[in-house]
Amino acid sequence: MTDKIPVEVGIVHEGERIRGPDMFLELGGPKVKYKAELVQVRKADEIEDGKVIVIGKDIPEFSEGDRSSFGILVDIYGGKVEKELEGVIERRVHDFLNYIQGFMHLNQRYDIWCRVSKDAKEKGLTFKHIGTAIMNLFKTAFPFIEKSQITFMTDEAKVKEHHDMAIKIYEERDKRVRGMKDEDVDVFYACTLCQSFAPNHVCVISPQRVSLCGSISWIDARAAANVDPDGPNFAVDKGELLDEKTGEYSGVNEAIKKATNGANDRFFMYSMFGYPHTSCGCFEAIAFFIPEVEGIGIVDRNYNEAAVNGLKFSAMATQTGGGEQAEGFLGFGVEWMHSAKFFNAEGGWSRIVWLPSHIKERVKEAVPEDIYDKIATEKEVTNLDELKKFLQEKGHPVVERWGAKGDDLKDKVMSYIQEKDGEIYPDEASKDLGITEDELMKIIEKLQEDGALE
Amino acid sequence: MKGTVIAVTGKGGVGKTMLSALLIGILGDSQPGKSILAIDADPDSNLAESLGVEFQKTVGDIREDMLREKPSPGVEKKKYLDAKVFEITVETDNFDLLVMGRPEGQGCYCAINHMLRDIVDNITKSYDYIVIDAEAGLEHLSRRTTENVDSLLVISDASKKGLDTAKRIKDLTRELNIKFNNLYLILNRVTPENKDVLEDEAGKLGIEVIGSIPDDPEVSDLDLRGRPITGISQESKAYKEAENIARKLIKNG
Repeated sequence: MTDKIPVEVGIVHEGERIRGPDMFLELGGPKVKYKAELVQVRKADEIEDGKVIVIGKDIPEFSEGDRSSFGILVDIYGGKVEKELEGVIERRVHDFLNYIQGFMHLNQRYDIWCRVSKDAKEKGLTFKHIGTAIMNLFKTAFPFIEKSQITFMTDEAKVKEHHDMAIKIYEERDKRVRGMKDEDVDVFYACTLCQSFAPNHVCVISPQRVSLCGSISWIDARAAANVDPDGPNFAVDKGELLDEKTGEYSGVNEAIKKATNGANDRFFMYSMFGYPHTSCGCFEAIAFFIPEVEGIGIVDRNYNEAAVNGLKFSAMATQTGGGEQAEGFLGFGVEWMHSAKFFNAEGGWSRIVWLPSHIKERVKEAVPEDIYDKIATEKEVTNLDELKKFLQEKGHPVVERWGAKGDDLKDKVMSYIQEKDGEIYPDEASKDLGITEDELMKIIEKLQEDGALE
Repeated sequence: MKGTVIAVTGKGGVGKTMLSALLIGILGDSQPGKSILAIDADPDSNLAESLGVEFQKTVGDIREDMLREKPSPGVEKKKYLDAKVFEITVETDNFDLLVMGRPEGQGCYCAINHMLRDIVDNITKSYDYIVIDAEAGLEHLSRRTTENVDSLLVISDASKKGLDTAKRIKDLTRELNIKFNNLYLILNRVTPENKDVLEDEAGKLGIEVIGSIPDDPEVSDLDLRGRPITGISQESKAYKEAENIARKLIKNG
């Protein structure tokens, strides 16, 4: 029953391309509408170990140059196999199929693209051979798989059915990936790809914090680190959570100290103050603190006008980037706005006061409903005075902080004046108090109105 | 397996793309069964046109697409990009063609570029011959990470500027630390009148000359009519000399 596979199977064949002139058959690929691969965990009695099912034509039944819809379904069972592992195991379908000489596999999910070489066809390669070979590879790689069964589909109607079902499962998985929390994993990943531009910069990538460039998610970093553990993406044992609010982890601190040659030794993963994450030059967006309203503004790379603080992205990028810790400025990847850890330390979305309208639209789902209309864009507001008015009218949560800050400052100015026995010089006083002269004069006026000063 | 990597460079307009295309055609004809990858790494030239094939997208386009439209969060970007690069590779009976396109534009692409570089390097491992049409700044060559260039061909016509560029390229290989086994100079549009002076001047550059392509009316005719250079007759002087060059490269490679 299990006749020997007529071609070689091994890692040496990985990365082998089958070019057009050498190709016998194309399965899936951009020119075919339906294709999908899926790994599913089943119950013990639902599958028959070692069984290969072929629905539609097998390889030898095709003619040279044919192109076909293609579905792969790998069913597995194991006492210890959890549903969550399906995605991880599915990623290996690509690797294992590529081990087979004369068989090429590209991409993933509903984008798979396979080719069978003329040479492999000549030698009599069938789906049965392929299925048996990759089930063996699976069992070696994942010893906890007790039973496996594989189905290959080339019948278009059947592939369509499989494809439609798989799409729903991928959507579920994406939701789970988005819902994955930093608490759920022990390992984060570092990325030092940008060190050629910013030698002291390192990105720390966690499930809830995408790389600043937006290109490397925790999943991408994990994939890269698995292939090349000493490469630019490497694992960081997150260690102990030192501060839940700011997202300070002992393991992260150790890792960045090493990766930046001691230039930085503390990172707050979810904050723009204290020891913020550094920024290279690659960030998709910049968050900037606006002291006048106690809120955070956001501007992205594609927004060419001046932001509400009067500065353009390019101007702020100079202050933000370069691998320095710059309090009040933070570069980040737009996907981070979907994260529950988005400015966790500052209060998250309730501190965001301004952002370009196209970004607001793009991340609409991520913004809490009760705050959405209270955040201004360039359509409502173009300067700080307008912004203040807007926030006040809409009752943005940051407004509550204004009074508190005012009272604090009043107290501070009062005690300063008392300390100096009423003899103060505005330029010196403003410096000592860390405010502008204008602000100082306004506070003094208010104190006079209150009757606290004469 | 590691194929033979031949890179052709030189000042724009001196016949760099013509030589690349001729070599690709000759390798295809003289080495049946061998696979050839042509890489157009000069955004200012059009190797596809010289080879008489059409292409849809460049590697640069993939990079731009990727920034505009991100795949789902559960998708591995590198696998995704790998397939995209394969998708834009033009396949013909004799050779495949990959067009690199524009260099980085606005925005940062470190991560994406890193993945793409890796992918392109990996693809070249599947071919017996890789012929790269590279711009004089050698930007593409300096970014290759794993594979050495076997033969770096610098082409110049009978002009001071062409020879100056050849000299600059020689210096640049040292600055950029580009690894190659052989560096050769090829002279183009050589006439009986300019031959002696040209060879004399070329000799001063300290680069071994392995070919002198005669000024060939058939080449200028094809050029003028916008026809692919691969349509040149095998009896033409330029083709014959390109054949000699190819023979030397195969022997040395």
